[in-house]
Amino acid sequence: MTTSHRMSLPALAGTILLAAVPAFASETPSADDIVRAAVDQWRGLSSQSEVTMTIRRPDWERTMTMEAWTKGDERSLVRVTAPARDRGNGTLTNDNNMWSFSPKVNRVIKIPSSMMSQSWMGSDFSNKDVARTNDIIDQYTHTLLDTRVDGDTTVYEIESVPLEEAAVVWGREVLLIRDDYVIAEHRFYDQDNELVKTLTSLEIGELGGRMVALRQRMQSVDTADEWTEIAVLSAAYDIELPDNLFTLSNLRNPRD
Amino acid sequence: MSTTLTVSAALAWRNLWRNHRRTLIMLSAISVGTWAMIFLTALTQGMVTDMVRQGLAVLPGHAQAHHPAFRDDPNIVNLLPIPDSELESRLVGGDFVAWSTRINVPAFVASERETRGVTLLGIDPARERDFTFVELDTIDGRFLETADDTGVVIGRKLAETLETRVGKRIVVMSQSPDNEVADRGFRVVGVFRAELPSQEEDYVFVGKATVQKLLGVPDRVTEAVVFGNDFRNPEPVLGQLEGFVSADGVTAQSWKDLDVYLSTTLAAMDGFVLVWVIVIFLALSFGLVNTLLMAVFERIREIGVMLALGVKPAAILLQIVLESMLLLGIGLLIGNLLAFASVELISDGIDISMVADGMEMMGATSRLVPDLRMQDVVLANGVVLLLGFFASLSPAWRASRYEPVEAITTVQ
Repeated sequence: MTTSHRMSLPALAGTILLAAVPAFASETPSADDIVRAAVDQWRGLSSQSEVTMTIRRPDWERTMTMEAWTKGDERSLVRVTAPARDRGNGTLTNDNNMWSFSPKVNRVIKIPSSMMSQSWMGSDFSNKDVARTNDIIDQYTHTLLDTRVDGDTTVYEIESVPLEEAAVVWGREVLLIRDDYVIAEHRFYDQDNELVKTLTSLEIGELGGRMVALRQRMQSVDTADEWTEIAVLSAAYDIELPDNLFTLSNLRNPRD
Repeated sequence: MSTTLTVSAALAWRNLWRNHRRTLIMLSAISVGTWAMIFLTALTQGMVTDMVRQGLAVLPGHAQAHHPAFRDDPNIVNLLPIPDSELESRLVGGDFVAWSTRINVPAFVASERETRGVTLLGIDPARERDFTFVELDTIDGRFLETADDTGVVIGRKLAETLETRVGKRIVVMSQSPDNEVADRGFRVVGVFRAELPSQEEDYVFVGKATVQKLLGVPDRVTEAVVFGNDFRNPEPVLGQLEGFVSADGVTAQSWKDLDVYLSTTLAAMDGFVLVWVIVIFLALSFGLVNTLLMAVFERIREIGVMLALGVKPAAILLQIVLESMLLLGIGLLIGNLLAFASVELISDGIDISMVADGMEMMGATSRLVPDLRMQDVVLANGVVLLLGFFASLSPAWRASRYEPVEAITTVQ
């Protein structure tokens, strides 16, 4: 999935990354460093993964299986592989822009700004959540609120307040990041400081050689029986991906 | 001739009051009719004026200049080809009551809970203050202060929908000319009220320079708006505006072309007033003709004697017509006074918020302020006098054609 840190793609704690981040053990790292490291952790330099997305509503539930690729900070491609009727639906993002393709209408559509707030594939994630993955790094001021030791892991509680001109509606966000850079929880507060929704990592484990959130759930506070869950089935990180993977023509006609 | 006229007038006046009860009934009928014509016309005109005023306040101005394709596709791509600073320096030289240049694009605003489609207006607040539909004195917070103000001003209804208020941030999303998403956060600095709820819902104001930066179109705008003295006659300002921009392939249009619904309503209104006056007059005319006929039939013998004594038929005719004209004249006078008085009485407008929803569909507000126009008053009086004159000709003609002997011997 690739595309959103909120979906927290599994990420492999590559040696390069670890080297880039100051050793956390000796002294408390800065909040900015922790967030940056966490984002790099789930995304890696590049990644390929297979995930399922389960959307739960009061009277129905459905599950989709998807394959996803990311490269660098900006490029990602997601393609639905099952169920059969959704097979081939795809989303391509590149530098805050987003295109979607549906084989049923055989059209690539550029997602206009008007649709950025709408739901991505019917889930509790918005198109913006998927396309704007770097915002958490450069559109917020991060403050380390608390450092907790939970068993043998340390959890950093970081408050992220969007910059005045950031295209973010939230009043503030709170990230719980473990010392292995897995985001354990991501809470979204409105400007009256009321909790609106939470992205929780329900299962954390090792996959593709790094610690990642294996199962995450996005849930609004108001609707207890509606949520979207993302589970990572398999993942590989820091692999060689061709640039032409992230093109409109590949979105339309997959090269297998 | 003048003696005939004086005598006829004196006789007409006396005859009028011989049966004062009948005259008074007729007078009250004419007065009420005239009152209805003028007063109701003033109310209807008030409603139409309000509609046009509201319509003009929101967008068209009296005349506007756009990129030729902008009206079919109000997209940021269709910018005016003239740089804003150049455009402004041209417009300064014009003889306008007010003018402004704006960015006017569709956009989305989002809060934590809602997203809404709106019309985003990037304005220079100093220029818009004089004619905006925003009620500046009841604004919650403040209006924009400069063209590079970084705040946003939204309507009360929109603030309710978004569950936001002054001091909170919202995100404004639109598109740049090369189709890139352009969005940023804005702090709500003011929540405005407007006469129409739809205005509070649809329009979002930001500083012109700020939005130019956001959309990546420095020193460019989508429209120029000018106001003249009289919205019924936008041609002079349209002509000037055209002179300023047409060389660059820019289309200038008056509000009559920009909002055909409004201009058609306005044009239909003048026709409607005439029809309305004539319908009321037709009802009145039956009473008038009947009254005159009665007056003539009662006096057949008297008319016969007058004819026998040598009064000319023309003088008889004149006398009856004068009678009718006096009757109408007094009736019109009372009717006009009544109408002026009642318009004066409700000159602050009457509250019709009971039917506010219906009025809003027509683009009018829930306060009806009568608009008494001299041309409508003259039309009503003119129609009554003219048609009244023709209506009275028939009984008068009949009276003047009696055979004296027959008339005298008629048994009444």
